[in-house]
Parts: sequence; C-alpha cells; structure tokens
Amino acid sequence: MTNEQNKQETIKKETLWTKAVRKFFRDKMGVISFSIVCLYALIALGVACGFWATEWSELNPDMKNTGPSADFWLGTNILGQDIYQRAIFSTKTAFEVGLVVALVATMLGAIVGCLSGYFSGTWIDEFFLWIIGCIDCIPFYLFVAAVGFAVNTLAQNLNASFGIEGFEYFAMHIAMIATFWTATARLVRGEVIKIKHLEFVEAAHAIGVPGPKIIFKHILPNTFHILLVQATIAFVSAIKSEVILSYLGLGVKNTVSWGKMIAEATQEVPAGIYSNFFAASAFLFVLVMAFNIFADALQDALDPKKVS
Amino acid sequence: MRLITFVGIVLSIFLTVSCGERKTAKGKVYWHSEDGAPTKLDPIESATTYANRITTAVYDTLYEYKYLKRHPYELKPNLAANMPEISEDGLVYTIKIKEGVKFIDDACFKTKENPKGKGREVVAADFVYSLKRHFDPKNSSQGSWLWRGRIVGLDDWGKAAREAGTTDYAAKIKGLQATDKYTIQITLTEPYPQILYTFAMGFASVVPQEAVEKYGKQLTTNPVGSGPFMLKSFNKTKAVLVKNPTYRKEVFDIHYEGYDEEKHGFTGIKALHGKTLPIVDTVIISFMKQDVARWNSLNKGNEIQFGTIPKDQIDNALMSKKPPKVIEKLAKKFHFDYERESGFVFSVFNMTDPAFGYSDDPKRNEMNKALRKAIRKAFDWQGRIDVFYAGIGEPFVGIIPPGISGYSEFPKDSITRDVEGAKKLLKDAGWTAENLPVFEYPNAASTTATQFFEQVRGWLEEIGYPRKKIKQKEFATFGDLNKSMKERKNIINSYGWGLDYPDAENVMQLFYGPNASPGSNASNFDHPEYNELFEKAKPMPDSEERTKLYKRMTEILLEECVGMFGFSRTRLKLWNKNTIMYPTREILSNVFKYVDVIKKDKKKKKNTKADGNGNAGDANNSGDAGQKNTENKE
Repeated sequence: MTNEQNKQETIKKETLWTKAVRKFFRDKMGVISFSIVCLYALIALGVACGFWATEWSELNPDMKNTGPSADFWLGTNILGQDIYQRAIFSTKTAFEVGLVVALVATMLGAIVGCLSGYFSGTWIDEFFLWIIGCIDCIPFYLFVAAVGFAVNTLAQNLNASFGIEGFEYFAMHIAMIATFWTATARLVRGEVIKIKHLEFVEAAHAIGVPGPKIIFKHILPNTFHILLVQATIAFVSAIKSEVILSYLGLGVKNTVSWGKMIAEATQEVPAGIYSNFFAASAFLFVLVMAFNIFADALQDALDPKKVS
Repeated sequence: MRLITFVGIVLSIFLTVSCGERKTAKGKVYWHSEDGAPTKLDPIESATTYANRITTAVYDTLYEYKYLKRHPYELKPNLAANMPEISEDGLVYTIKIKEGVKFIDDACFKTKENPKGKGREVVAADFVYSLKRHFDPKNSSQGSWLWRGRIVGLDDWGKAAREAGTTDYAAKIKGLQATDKYTIQITLTEPYPQILYTFAMGFASVVPQEAVEKYGKQLTTNPVGSGPFMLKSFNKTKAVLVKNPTYRKEVFDIHYEGYDEEKHGFTGIKALHGKTLPIVDTVIISFMKQDVARWNSLNKGNEIQFGTIPKDQIDNALMSKKPPKVIEKLAKKFHFDYERESGFVFSVFNMTDPAFGYSDDPKRNEMNKALRKAIRKAFDWQGRIDVFYAGIGEPFVGIIPPGISGYSEFPKDSITRDVEGAKKLLKDAGWTAENLPVFEYPNAASTTATQFFEQVRGWLEEIGYPRKKIKQKEFATFGDLNKSMKERKNIINSYGWGLDYPDAENVMQLFYGPNASPGSNASNFDHPEYNELFEKAKPMPDSEERTKLYKRMTEILLEECVGMFGFSRTRLKLWNKNTIMYPTREILSNVFKYVDVIKKDKKKKKNTKADGNGNAGDANNSGDAGQKNTENKE
C-alpha cells in the first residue's frame, strides 16, 4: 500500500466528529479554556461529593468582614462566613444550574425544532412558531422573574396542600428553561427543513419508515453539532442569568451563589469592603470567559463548512 | 426668529425644571428626606409613618405630643382647646375645640355665596364626620381598629350602612356627637384610657365633608385640612408642602414643649422660642429608599438637610458606639442625635402550627415547647445586633420596651445564648436530627433578609439542626409575606412593631387571643390566663396595678416561649447645621412646623467662600458643639 493510498484511507475513515475533534485540539485557546472548564467541573464535583467547602455556611461572629488570612484565604463576610469556601461552593451551584438548564432547554428546543421543521408549513409549525414568537417578545428578565415567582408560589401551595417539598428549589431553573429553549428550537427548525429534503430522508419515506422514527432517528442526530454548541451557550447564559437573578433576589434558595455574593457586596463596597465582590466576580469571570472561548472553539470545530 | 423663540422656550422650561422646587420656592425652605414613600394620604388610609407625617402636617388632630418631651411622651391640645373633661367612670369624654380655626381655601367650598372657595370654620361636627368615615363600608379604612367596639353606637352605624347599602352621615350616634358647634362628646363602651393617644394619630385627622364629596378617592392628592401646611405636590419621589396662610396663630413656647438645656441646648432651638408656627415657608420631602443616595445627598450640603446614617457607613461615621458619637468631620457639618425607637423587632412562632406550636397531643405539645425554647436559646441577640444594627443597643427581656409605661425587669435567661442548654433541651425532649421538623424561615426577597436567614441557619446548625431541614421561604414582596403571615402559613414571623401610641397596651394586645391573625396577633397565641388578664388590664390607665398584671402576662409569654423578643433599634440622625430642629420619627408626627432654616447672609457667604468653607459658615454651632452631651438619654 502506498503512502497516497494510506492518506486516502485515513480521509475516508474520518467523520465529521473526528474532524471536529482534530480541529478543536489544534485550537490552543480552545484547549486551555476547556481545561479551565474541566477544572471548575472537578471543583463542582468535589463540592457535590462533600470533599471540600463543607463549612460554607458556618458563622464566625468574631471574624466579621476580615481581610484575607491563613484561616480565611479570601477573608470573611458580615456574618463571619469564609468567602473562599462560599466562592468554591458556588461553583457547584453554577454547574448545577448550568447543566440542568442547558440539558433540558436544549432537549426541549431540539424536540420542538425538529417537529416544527419537519412539519414546516403546516399548522404544527405555525403553532410552535407562534409560541416561540410570544416568548421571545417578552423581555427576558421580566419573563424569568414572573415565571420564577409563579413556580415558587405553586411550589409553596404544593407543599402546603400535598406536602410535596423541594419543588421551589427549581423555580429559577424552570423559569430559565422556559426562555432558553426557543433559540435552539429556531436553529434546529432551520436545519431540519434543510435536512428533510436530502436523499436519505426521502429514501426513508420511500421505504415506509414512520414519521416519528424519521424525525428522531434519522434527522435529529444530524443536528447534534448545533445542539452541542447551543448547549454550551445555554450553559454559560444560565450561569450568568443565575448570577443576575440572585443579585436581584430571584435566584437560588437555601444555598449560596456568586450572584448572592455580589448582591451582598453591594452593601459592603460603599463601606470599602471588597472581598465578596472580588471573589465572586473573579470566579465568575474566569468561568464565563473560559466557557465562551470553549464554545467558540467548539463552534468553529463543528461548523461543517469549516471542517470540510 | 421662530427658531430662537423655540430654543428660548425649551431652555427656560429646562432651567425651570432643573433648578427644582428648592430654587423656585420663596422664603425659607426645609428639605427633608424619608427612607420610604407614602402611597395614600387620605387620613383613613395613612397607616405608615411616611403618610402620617404628611397628613398631620396638612390636617389637624385634636391632640398632639409635646415637641421636646420624649420618653415619656406627653399629649397637648392641638385643635382641641384644652385637655378633655372625663367623667368619673371614664366613659364620657367632652372635648372643646378651638374657635375660629379654618380649613384652607379650596374649590370644594365654592358656592354662590362663596365663589372664591374660602375655607370655612372647623366645627365639632367635622371631627364626628371624620371618625364616621372609618366605619363607612365604602371606605377601606386602615385605622378603624382603633375605635372598633369602643364607642357606643359607632360599630352599629357602620353595620347599618353595610346592610342598607347606603351611608347616612346625618344619622346620630349615641356615643359620638357634636353637642354644639365647638363641643364633641364621646361615650365609650368601656373605659379606654388610650383613646386620647388615638386622637393624636393621623387617622383621627379632621376632614371637611365637602372635600370628600368633591374629590372622593382623589382626596389622597387633594388634601383639604386646617393644619400648618398645604400640600402643593405629591408623587412617588417627592412631596412639597407650603405654609398655610390661614393657619391659626400658634406660638412656639419651648418651655411648655419640654425644653431641657442639657438635652436640647446643642440644637440651638432656644432661638425659636416665641416664634409663630410654622416657621419655614416650604418643606420638600424626598422619598429616598436607597441609603447611598440619601447619604450622598445629605453630604453634598446643599440638598437634603436631614438624614440617617446608613448601616454600611456606621463604622466610618461613628468614632464611638457607646454612646454613639460621630467623627469630627461630620460633627462640623451636622448636628447629631440618637434615639431608641418606640417599638422593637422580634420573632414569634405561629402557635397554631402543629410542628412548632400547640398540639392536641400532650406529649408532642411538651416536645414542641422544648423545641421552641431550644431555638430561643440558640438565638444570639448580640450577634444579630452586631451584624444588622451596627452593634448599637441591647436587647430587653419581655415584650414591653424600656421607657414605655408598664415595663418591668426580668431575668435575662430568655435573651442569653446557651448552645449546650439548647442541645440538652432537644435531647431530653426526644428530638433527633431525624425527627426534627423542617424549619422554614419566611422573608421578603432581599439581600439583608437572606443574611438574616443565613444567620439563623448558622445558629440552628450549631444546636444540631440539620442544614437541609432549615429552609428559606422567600416571598416576592413584603405584601406577600404579610399575606402568608395573616393566613397563618408561616411557622415563624420576624418583624418590627412600631408603637401606635406610647402605652404598653399597644404591645400586650399583640398576644391577645381574639386578635389572632388576620389580626395583629401574628403568633396566634391564645392562652386563657393571658386573655383574662388582658381584659382585666384593658380599661386601666397606667398604674402599678396594671404593671403588675402586665408583668404576669409577660411571664406567661416567656414560659410558653412564644418567640424571641426583643430589641429596640437606635436611630442615628444627622441634620445640617443650617437647620434648627430636634427631629424624630417616633410617635410624634406633626413636626415640620417647628423647623427653622438659617438663611444664608450673602455677605457672609462671600466671606465663607473665601475661607473655602462653604457649609459651616452660618451655623450657630460648630465642631463638637453639634453633638448631644447627654449619654444616657433613655
């Protein structure tokens, strides 16, 4: 076998995904960002497993608003709580919110987008487009706040009437999912409209493959490159939104987050106390930057035009 | 040419607007600030301190408090000509009102005979009408509770109006009558010594029927009163009051008002003795909810003239906390005073909640009592004061704050933190991490509220409460939180109670069974002995005998562990040295009439500018003279 034949063989075996991986690992910034995201994920996992940051809520009344020290690396807040531990614990909150929102919103967007695209031009498509249009025309934070409070009230009623507990924890997640899925749905719809006219879909129709199977087995997998990029965008948007919502008092409950820390800082900064502000902002900034660069690199790597 | 005219008009409008009320106002202008805004100024709905302050400035009340006499407070006649004649059995009050007092000129008085709408004389019937309004079913009175069941026939009049669907204001009420043009006679169902205090509240302001008929719901923005000021404008951010030109002759007698050189000398208020009230021509009240905005405005020196020290600035602004004393830089610019609030903050358990309150099962009942006591032992009052109240002040035992009639001393164990004792109580009662009920801490969404929750969670964790069982129950607004409290859905309620009048009865009723939610008894405490004692003490004036009863009632509250009480916050007040006053936001409300502003002398101003000291130039005091000397004012 000649070298030329070997090369041709390699090219033949390379799929869109292998090409994307190869391209991604050629992007140094992308790899560094991915490593940072992995590090954060590892921190979050450690927090979830109870390996570290277990004393984030502990009060130290004699140590309120202290600066960095050997005991408290990033100082303490007004209640004497360790800011470093709280910032580390907040990584878990961020990942939890990011993962839940990104996964569910992307799945929902994919399903709706597929159905809408596959049935484009029918009342089903019109109906979904109408819903998407309605949601998108409401200002984001207004909508999230309204849904968040509505779900929260529903959770309290469920708790009072049926003893169902813990539902209120997901009020903000549900509120964000309710808005984030629309962007994915639009993109997937466009892609599905393109795909459904390709030969393999027409062939599936010709041999009598049922519609749902065509949609979810043959068309949906071909939109995964979009879904992956959308999921990363949703992930980082969810983290940022959580911070803003927590800052506004609409965020996560019974736990700590960077947004809550920044909200606390608004009362401290005028008095010249910056520990909470710097700690939460730095953790958030690095993660969001890393995720954005990672998402860009992923988008470049998965773009069929660029890959080909 | 047209373009120039247009530009000229636009510029003049712009300049007029930007110069603001202060620059366009004539005469002396006092610029006040409040940390919240009133929503309604109709006396029947003036339930907040902010609303009360304005309603009492534009309307007259029969009585008011002496301006300088505080702790204890003392009533004095306002619209009333003198203190009332009270029958021996304490049931009949006869009150004469001043003759010749007039409502302000207003369109509501326009008639053929009075085309300019000159204000008519205030008569006794106006007071009767104003009180009846609270019981008119068409009105949403927030003050009717003050007189419900107290005045003979008043409740029945309201009931009859509800049943008939129409209100007959001409109908006579046996217990509330104008016996002649200037005499009011009130007959009570039972002795109610606090009734005089209620006549000093904004709720009891005297409103002319003509104004209510003309403006209806719009009365809130068109007040027609006989007070020292008239409302010129009112919106969510600002209210402007101007001097009432037809206000009766009232002279400031500082000695009658309770002047004490040691307490009040630093204010320079002595200079106002003999002056005709009100002194300033215009009062601008800025409603500034943001601490930072209020603080910056006060420090600018040429904006608001009164403010409080924000929580996050206390460490920078005070050189000492016991007693509070401001740093020299502030002392040069401002007069400073501190005052303990006439109220308190406290937390009460919902005694109808089976998990924490009363239970039908005697064993569980005892367990719940032990649980409440353990939570009380975990509660760190000093920690709370240090974090949220700048470490200023001390908690008190019982429910009656020091300085209020009926206050008694008790052992301090109910406000002393004892983590080990709490753990032992839980263990002895059979509580374990597994069987402890979920503790939901309700609050309205805010950063401070979350910090309150986090602090409580930290304390409870220390006594062995599992973190996952301590949850925050967050509400979008205070209204939602309040609604949940009224519907008895919260297991604990933490809030502040501002005294409506300076009498312990206003506190003890907070635990009276029949006042349970949606009434003022947020704990829904219903204890036969307590209720019986309350009813016995109700008709009594402040006396040793009543204090004895209140002491026993407080003991019951402590023994049953209804909650964690209490703490009266300390207000830190600063006012510009170009103003003369002795400000307060406790109990008193009609205070703007006593304020004076020292107008800048132009020549002096030039000299001051040359000295590079724009603010202190014309103040009559400087440096440490601006601080109150007395350490123990309470």
